[in-house]
Amino acid sequence: MTGLPVSTILLVTGFLLALIGLWGMLTHRNIMRIIICFTVFDTGLRLVMVATGYITAGTAPIIDRALTTAEAASRAIDPIPSALVVTAIVIGFAVTAVMLGFAIRLYAAKKTLSIDAFTESKW
Amino acid sequence: MVASLFHPLNIFLLGLGGGFVIPLLYRLGKPWLHAGFWLALAGIVAVSGVSLFEVYQSGTPIEVLTAGFAPPLSINLRFGLQEGFFAFSVGLVSLLGALHLWDRLKGNYGALLLYLILVMGIDGMVMTRDLFNLFVFLEIVSIATYGLLALERTPAAIGAAFKFIMATVIASTFFLLGTVLLYYVTGTLNIDTLIAEREHITGPIGATALLMVLACLILELKPFPANGWGLDVYETAPSGVASMVSVGVSAGVFFALWKLLPLFEGQLGLIAVSGGITFLFSNLVGLKQTKVQRLLGYSSISQMGLMALALALLTEIGATASIPLVVGGLFINHLLAKAGLFWLAGVLKQDDVDARTSLSGRPLLLGLLALFMVAIAGLPPFPGFWAKWELVMQLTSLGRLPWVALILAGSLLEAAYMFNWFVRALRPAEARAGAGPDLVALLPVYGVALLLVGAGYVAARVSGAGALWLFAPLVVGVILYAFDRLPGRLKAVLMLIAVALVGGWLAESAEGIAWLFAALLLAGSVVIAAGGLYRDDRRPGYYPMLAVLLISIPALLRSATSLEFFYHWEIITLASCFLIAKGRGAGPHVLTFLLFSLVSAFFLLAGFAGIAALSGTTSLTALVTSGPDATIAFVLLAIGFLIKAGAVGVHVWLPGAYAEADDDFTAMLSAVVSKVAMFGLLIGTYLAIRSEVSIEIAHGMAWVGMLTTIAGALLALRQTDFKRLLAYSSMSQLGYIVTAIALMSHLGWVTALYLVANHLMVKGILFLAVAGIILRTGTRDFAGTGGLARAMPVTFGLVAIAILSMSGLPPLMGFGGKWLLLSAMTEKGWIWLAVVGLVATFLGFLYMIRLVAGLFFGPRPAGQADIREVPLALIVPQALLVIGILVLSLYPKLLMDPVSAAIDPQFAATLVWEGMSLYTIYGTWNPTPWMIGAVAVAAILGVIAWLVYRSGAGRRTGNLARFYGYYRSVIERMLPPVATEFWNGVTGFTLATAATVRQLYTGNGQTYALYVLIYFLALYAASLGPAGFWIGG
Amino acid sequence: MMRHIVVALVVVLFGLIFARLIGSYVELSALRPLATQYVIEAPRDLGTPNIITGILITYRGFDTLGEVAVLFMVAASIGLLLKKDETKSTNAPTLAAKATGARRAAANTPAAKAAAARAASVAANRAASATPASAGTALAGAAASEADSAEAQAGEPSEIVRTGTDVLLPLIFTFGAYVIVNGHLSAGGGFQGGAIVASGAMLMLLARPGSRLNVALLSVIESFAGVLYVSLGIVGLIFAAGFLDPRFLPRGELGAFVSAGAIPLISALLGIKVGAELSVIIDRFRS
Repeated sequence: MTGLPVSTILLVTGFLLALIGLWGMLTHRNIMRIIICFTVFDTGLRLVMVATGYITAGTAPIIDRALTTAEAASRAIDPIPSALVVTAIVIGFAVTAVMLGFAIRLYAAKKTLSIDAFTESKW
Repeated sequence: MVASLFHPLNIFLLGLGGGFVIPLLYRLGKPWLHAGFWLALAGIVAVSGVSLFEVYQSGTPIEVLTAGFAPPLSINLRFGLQEGFFAFSVGLVSLLGALHLWDRLKGNYGALLLYLILVMGIDGMVMTRDLFNLFVFLEIVSIATYGLLALERTPAAIGAAFKFIMATVIASTFFLLGTVLLYYVTGTLNIDTLIAEREHITGPIGATALLMVLACLILELKPFPANGWGLDVYETAPSGVASMVSVGVSAGVFFALWKLLPLFEGQLGLIAVSGGITFLFSNLVGLKQTKVQRLLGYSSISQMGLMALALALLTEIGATASIPLVVGGLFINHLLAKAGLFWLAGVLKQDDVDARTSLSGRPLLLGLLALFMVAIAGLPPFPGFWAKWELVMQLTSLGRLPWVALILAGSLLEAAYMFNWFVRALRPAEARAGAGPDLVALLPVYGVALLLVGAGYVAARVSGAGALWLFAPLVVGVILYAFDRLPGRLKAVLMLIAVALVGGWLAESAEGIAWLFAALLLAGSVVIAAGGLYRDDRRPGYYPMLAVLLISIPALLRSATSLEFFYHWEIITLASCFLIAKGRGAGPHVLTFLLFSLVSAFFLLAGFAGIAALSGTTSLTALVTSGPDATIAFVLLAIGFLIKAGAVGVHVWLPGAYAEADDDFTAMLSAVVSKVAMFGLLIGTYLAIRSEVSIEIAHGMAWVGMLTTIAGALLALRQTDFKRLLAYSSMSQLGYIVTAIALMSHLGWVTALYLVANHLMVKGILFLAVAGIILRTGTRDFAGTGGLARAMPVTFGLVAIAILSMSGLPPLMGFGGKWLLLSAMTEKGWIWLAVVGLVATFLGFLYMIRLVAGLFFGPRPAGQADIREVPLALIVPQALLVIGILVLSLYPKLLMDPVSAAIDPQFAATLVWEGMSLYTIYGTWNPTPWMIGAVAVAAILGVIAWLVYRSGAGRRTGNLARFYGYYRSVIERMLPPVATEFWNGVTGFTLATAATVRQLYTGNGQTYALYVLIYFLALYAASLGPAGFWIGG
Repeated sequence: MMRHIVVALVVVLFGLIFARLIGSYVELSALRPLATQYVIEAPRDLGTPNIITGILITYRGFDTLGEVAVLFMVAASIGLLLKKDETKSTNAPTLAAKATGARRAAANTPAAKAAAARAASVAANRAASATPASAGTALAGAAASEADSAEAQAGEPSEIVRTGTDVLLPLIFTFGAYVIVNGHLSAGGGFQGGAIVASGAMLMLLARPGSRLNVALLSVIESFAGVLYVSLGIVGLIFAAGFLDPRFLPRGELGAFVSAGAIPLISALLGIKVGAELSVIIDRFRS
């Protein structure tokens, strides 16, 4: 053990992932790669969000043999961030799907996926 | 049962349930599909409308709980007055918008369900009280937008949509992260709880989380310069979708910002700066834009910036009571006008303002376009006007003057590019356009136009200006417009009757000097307007608009508050502008006229706001009571009025507008409308009298007036176009009046009123005579006229009397005015002014001689043998005005008694100018010696000029025309068009700046994403400083 | 180059902001009052051992409904976006021709379809060298060229894939169904299960390129599930305390399969809806 709390490690990982996504979405010219970088960025931040709900030495907030009703309040992790992230994942999926749909259209229009090719409207 | 049927929750049941059902209905058949869609959409609007009414009646917001648990455990929503207002108005517009978009929506179940859920999502953003739920609704709205953007399949549109997605995804990711981090800090997502526990949101995580949420909302409002993605979508999306993004989605986001504003107390300044930059720069860059939808995009973005700015500043200064009027007014104004413009652009299929589709043959469409533009420019009677007034008043009262300047500058730029489009639409069609769009396609546009008018009235009521007489001019105009299909002359008669009756009724309540002006101007306008009978064409829209103009003048004069005054001032400006636009060659001059008028109006607005800030009231009586602090306000007001008076330097709008307006309307402009500015200057002068530095300012104003006289006379001499000559003559004569007012003494004012009355009648006669001459000869150039004295003896006689009166020679009423002025100036010790005045008199004689000689003497040009006298319809008004001159010359008491009665009470007791009665004035200052001296000087100067002319080689002929030709070239050489060049330079510089700034918009989606991220960093750095980038900071 | 420097600067600044967040992050040591309330009350009031499901379906059910709407809209958006052009614009003719008839290259077309998802990314990299085949259109062209190369190597999916699919598919669907219906008891729920089901559909499409999903049926199912979901919400409004309140059915015994009011019902609807939606989306991408 490094001594760092588990959630801090997750936080660091998540933010690093987000930064990688950020770098990628700003440097790659290929639209598919940009979309992938968006999902990397999102995934990293989702990791961060889940991590913020962690309670030291907590467990999943599901009442079963491992977690009785009585000790739930003291041992369960915060269920809210987890619930929010489920929603966030679905929405992230939705956005990615739409982006991919547009990417197909863009490719159909110009036979290229370079983002630099789509600058018809400007100024 | 009814209550539960119209419970706000049903918005979501209809939106989602309807959305889910739509694919099923599609399988049943298109009628089912369409019926289901309309039912659900209309249901949403009905629910929000009924709920709004309920909330309005009961005064308590409706709380919507979900899941059977109380918040913060479960999500709750609120439907209060503000929420209802936003939801209902967005609903109405989206209902009409669906109609507009129907061609693309019908039969397309995917698009229908997206549209429906989009509307519901906007309502959700407005109503929800849960931060994460707000995120969900934001995403619903975003994804519905993405889907609808797919309706347009051109590569540019798809590319733009992709850029839009990239930017908004980044923004909403900020929101999401911010929300979850706020939950980490506070342990709640309920907005009310968050606001209540605002002080616990501290530390690096809390501060960053708040900034992330804020950044998302600001970014979604498309702040400059991180907004290229939004502009591209506005440009390329179908007009119906673009309008929904502009007014619907933005409304939801803006409301979210409003709702969360208590969380951002520390960032109010930041929001204001962001909004201000966006407002200013979007409007600046918009100047260079010719693509209609992109133009509207710039305008949309700037309006959102203005709303954010207003919201933040009013909250900051604690003027929360004004927020409903200002923000609500700006919002509804933008909502309706922008939607209308987008749809209109869509209906006309106009991509570019330069496109050859002209509206000149379609008055109704042109009228709609004008209506929306007037609203966007923040002019009355639309809500934006009342909102901006209140905003400027509030900001000025707390000394936020730079903000006021920014708002006015941005508004001017916006008006410039919007009206540029309008002016281009006015151009005569080169190719006859095909059949216009059908009524059904225009139905939504009419719908928003009507709503806009209604909203304007409501906003006026809220501003405390709901009195019916304020709207009398417009009501008369609308009624007359209903009879617009009648023959032209009948309409003219109806208009005259309406003006006389309603104008008379309005003038009755005016008091003192205002009453005098009202009586004079009303009588003058009826007589001169009667000249319009000489034309027998239909002149669509002309007479109603003229009625609005002429009735607004007495209405302005009876105004008791600066708001009423300013309101009528703007109406007069607008009506004049549209009437000038009726002139055949007026196109380019309309824009100049309008822009200078707007600048003038903004100075007035600032001036009035300054006085209101000092005195705490908008009553016009405050002008009399304001103390020495009001100097700046006076200067602002004076500048405003001087611009409209065509003072030297800012006169460049005048000649074009006067020369290119319809001939009979020019008479009205010069004789009547210009006097409104004189009245304003007169009442504004009270302030200067009160202030201690009045003498210096007054002296300066006198110089401005006198220089205007000189410049006007010189420019008049330069003309070969006699209508233009008269235009400059007006400028010159108005300069005398300005100087007279600047004397700020009893004598000066008597003189001023004298000159006003004289100029009214003289210019009325001259311009009407010129109208007749142009009608008969078909030319405005001296080269095409001459020797008309024999063909038009009556006109000649009338013009001669008018010129005599204008020159100030005895025995007519003009005698006295100028000479009193000169003597009053020497009395005050303004010797140099008097000297310049002498030169001006000489120059005036020169151009008057030129006019008479050029028109009536000399040889007839070829081909004009059978020229007849001008029509009776033009003779009669001129004759009436001549009778006026004669009567007042013979019985000066008729004018002097009322002048005396009016002026004396105007001076506060301490300021009474020696209490001298009018009858003694002629006794004290006998004008005759002055006149003789001045005429002598003029004669000497004239002889010198003649000798100079004769001294040159080859100029031995005694031809008067050559004499003038020689001096014209001399003046042209010695007097470069400094003012014109200066203003051209200003325009060029502004356009060049705009062209430079817009290089930011490279069109590359990745670059735009980078801008968005940098924008966040900038907001972050501005809010937290360098410490925000340091772990221990 | 300049651009990379700016990007690097932006990334570094974000890194600093994130570092500052991490620096001031303190792992929570106990639940906050609201979370405690959820943890204690969800099992008690709703009868669901899985507190997250309780939150998703009940307390924040309104969010979930919105989320379902988002997925629903995405299916519609993709449909709009990838719908073949009706008007013959620049790139339409061949697509239209392909749609109307000319189902030559029967071997190619399905493969092309199957590869479409991958094709887009692969084609991007080869965009410069992509020589549009006889099909001519951008998408079809890319897909066709991809299909050609795929065919050269494999043609039909390999024996392993097909057999594997035959074995796995029932398992995947069963597992998905299990996750859906047990959402109130253990980790899982409608979304998770629906995603599993859709992944099964995806595998099926990959393994049997010729097979077609009955999109019409799926979207009817999807719609019905949605309507039923809203209806259950209304039932909650009428027979329980509020919109989306699942307590109009008996709570049952904590941990029993039939318990937790209407939560399993809603969960199942969610699962069906999500599964159908995702499958539709996948299928749309294929065409």
